Amino acid sequence: MGMLFAKCMQRAGLNVFGTNDYPSLIKGGHNTYALSASDEQINSLLGKPDMLVALDQPTIKLHLKCLSPGGALIYDSNKVKDDDVAGGRTDIFHVGAPFTEMATKAGGEIMFNTVALGAAVGVLGMDFSIVEGLLRRIWEKKGDAVVQQNIAAAKAGFDYSRSELKTPFKVKIEPVKRDKTMFINGNEAVVVGAVKAGCKFVAEYPMSPSSSILHLMAGHERDYGIIVKQTEDELSAVHMIAGASFAGARSMTATSGGGFSLMTEALGMMGMMELPCVIINSQRCGPSTGLPTYTEQADLLFSLHASQGEFPRVVVAPGDQAECYAETVNAFNIAELVQAPVIILLDKYLSESSKTTEDFRKLPMKVERGRLLSDSDMEKAEGFKRYAFNEDGISPRCLPGQKNGLHVSSSYEHDETGFSSEDPGMRIAMINKRAKKLSAIPEELIAPSFHGAMQSQAEILLVCWGSTKGAAIDSLRFLTKHGIAARVMHLRYAEPFPSKRVLSALTSAKNTLIIEGNSNAQMREHILKKTGYYIEKAYLRYDGRPFIAKEIAEHVKTILKK
Amino acid sequence: MATVAELNSGHTPTWCPGCGDFGILAALKGALAKLNVPPEDIVIVSGIGCGSKIPHFIKTYGFESLHGRSLPPATGIHLANDRLRVIAIGGDGDGCGIGMGHLVHTMRRNLNICYIVQDNEIYGLTTGQTSPTTKKGTKTRSTPNGSIEQEINPPLIALAAGATFVARGFAGDVAHLTGLIEQGISHRGVSFIDIFQPCVSWRKDLPYSLYQSKVYKLEEAGHDTTNFDAAIDRARETERWPIGVFYKIDKPIYTDEIPFIKEKPLVSQDISNVDISKFVEEFL
Repeated sequence: MGMLFAKCMQRAGLNVFGTNDYPSLIKGGHNTYALSASDEQINSLLGKPDMLVALDQPTIKLHLKCLSPGGALIYDSNKVKDDDVAGGRTDIFHVGAPFTEMATKAGGEIMFNTVALGAAVGVLGMDFSIVEGLLRRIWEKKGDAVVQQNIAAAKAGFDYSRSELKTPFKVKIEPVKRDKTMFINGNEAVVVGAVKAGCKFVAEYPMSPSSSILHLMAGHERDYGIIVKQTEDELSAVHMIAGASFAGARSMTATSGGGFSLMTEALGMMGMMELPCVIINSQRCGPSTGLPTYTEQADLLFSLHASQGEFPRVVVAPGDQAECYAETVNAFNIAELVQAPVIILLDKYLSESSKTTEDFRKLPMKVERGRLLSDSDMEKAEGFKRYAFNEDGISPRCLPGQKNGLHVSSSYEHDETGFSSEDPGMRIAMINKRAKKLSAIPEELIAPSFHGAMQSQAEILLVCWGSTKGAAIDSLRFLTKHGIAARVMHLRYAEPFPSKRVLSALTSAKNTLIIEGNSNAQMREHILKKTGYYIEKAYLRYDGRPFIAKEIAEHVKTILKK
Repeated sequence: MATVAELNSGHTPTWCPGCGDFGILAALKGALAKLNVPPEDIVIVSGIGCGSKIPHFIKTYGFESLHGRSLPPATGIHLANDRLRVIAIGGDGDGCGIGMGHLVHTMRRNLNICYIVQDNEIYGLTTGQTSPTTKKGTKTRSTPNGSIEQEINPPLIALAAGATFVARGFAGDVAHLTGLIEQGISHRGVSFIDIFQPCVSWRKDLPYSLYQSKVYKLEEAGHDTTNFDAAIDRARETERWPIGVFYKIDKPIYTDEIPFIKEKPLVSQDISNVDISKFVEEFL
């Protein structure tokens, strides 16, 4: 229901940010969907909720206290007893409608949440046509009867709240005319990016919170001609994509930290064989099984160092849904450019939070296959060496099926032809060859992004990475209210690392603060290693919950003693 | 379309003199030479172990993966380009120890690949430890008092897992083994070939002469290769050791159910400018 409500806001032309919270259960438990909508740009949940829709009694008990004064509580009076409702609050609107009864009347009890949707939209003074249009679109595949039942259910809720509200609600949503946006979460954006990048093979073992990548890919397998393989374990998934990549198909796997742990052996093999592959690690709370459905940013150093020995890999952590899309396309291009594995670090929060975002088709993304040799190149090839030494360490690559390119890719150290070699000179030459490759990645691509006040005006530089971007940027609006000029530096690439730009930003800042979702300030450690600069102050969160903009602002205020 | 001589990579195998792997290499090259397939369309995928060095000694494309992992990359290569002939090969420790999970699942998928197990009932490259196929009671460096565990029977596992071609060969009978490998590669579906491979360094108690005295050929014993129960019975024999084809049936293969690679394999499909509109519209 929360998702549909968010889509109504999207259709009204608003900016929307929505995120879910649920326990590790198949059904039941306390599940919530929270969202903010605004005509301004928003990147996270903002402020106290003005509306609480309760489909059961525990919701009221847990969340009523958060509702803003003058806010609306909408609840199912079939499920919640009247005496449970008030909770001592007289400063709010109550809309208690018999959702279950109304849904049954419209055609089925199961639609009680559709009644609630109608009621919520009604409170906001919106036109019913927005809900109707959305329900038509969602249910059209199930036939007209289902569409009509759902519309009737929503209309019943809508009319009920309209008649109940004696005075207008404090929030009235006026539709805004603008270009259509996408309302999409991080995992979905990664999938669209992979499709755009020409990913042809996906092998995955289910693991929260990455599994929706498997589902979405599998659902579109035939639309886009992508083989999607659920495997017996993560070992198989990662080794399958290594094979598919060797054969020439752009390939990807997705997992969370536990699965990524199993994949580390293959990561080193890809490094040794110089195979381009994309691995997505959507982080959740570890160690071990941890908190499977809660968020954390604690796999950064693990991703940077996973697997024995030394070899180049790329680690990128997109900060929002548009970056999930763009960096996934980039990841496939970079993997082929430098012939190495690329790890995309997401987390539960980014994977499952949705945001209204510009139509991805407006972003100019291209497929670039690096030094991949064509059939005609190979027709005339002589003395081909798969691992030939050259200036930047990147050797032209041919594929099985092509003439004149026969070679073995081996997990053993090898010579230029691929034949195993334990010669000390060859060993050094090969280590150095592989180590050079990342320099081919353009510096602009890995540059951090800056937001908020100009460098010269900012009292403090907030340093964040990955999914913390949205809350960090949104904290600026609260800081401005406190009279604090702040600047945000958001890092996407951990490897290769934009050392020069980061060091320059840090050394010219009056104050610095690192904000990240782990207990050891892992990015601070990484920045220290890469630049020699130590960010003294850290604001860390590791309770499994995402950063909240207002709380960041409060923390900044405290450390600046304002 | 390449002769045995043309399939020589020019590298000399580093196996112990007398190793069963020489017979297996000769048989594999012989089988490839008989098949009408150019060497660039062949990929040999191995794991890690003595026998897994084999891709370096045959002039085709090769992928020497990690210990126990020959089958997943073989699967990936096959699905990315099903026009290639993919042969996975590795030892008994590789396939039935660390890689057992992949073995079972690869068999049940009926992918069009051939999997060969060089079964010498010992870990050779790590210098003589017990393997999953080492018979109970055998003394090895890791079981000086005799192995306590019941051994694994690879053909029986492959049959139970749903393989559509199951055979056993003997590295000491190259001509017979060549025929088996040729049949295995030509079989439409997954083929599993277990090979008795004498290890002259670590299994002196299992010499060529013992195998020779024990083996008999299924094709000379009137075995019906389409009869699953008969195949199971033959695979369970311990007094005499059958070699030849235990079981062969035709069933739809994995890729038969993937319509979009009928015309072109994945690797040949145009990815230069994929239209994401269908996807984008879901989120508008």
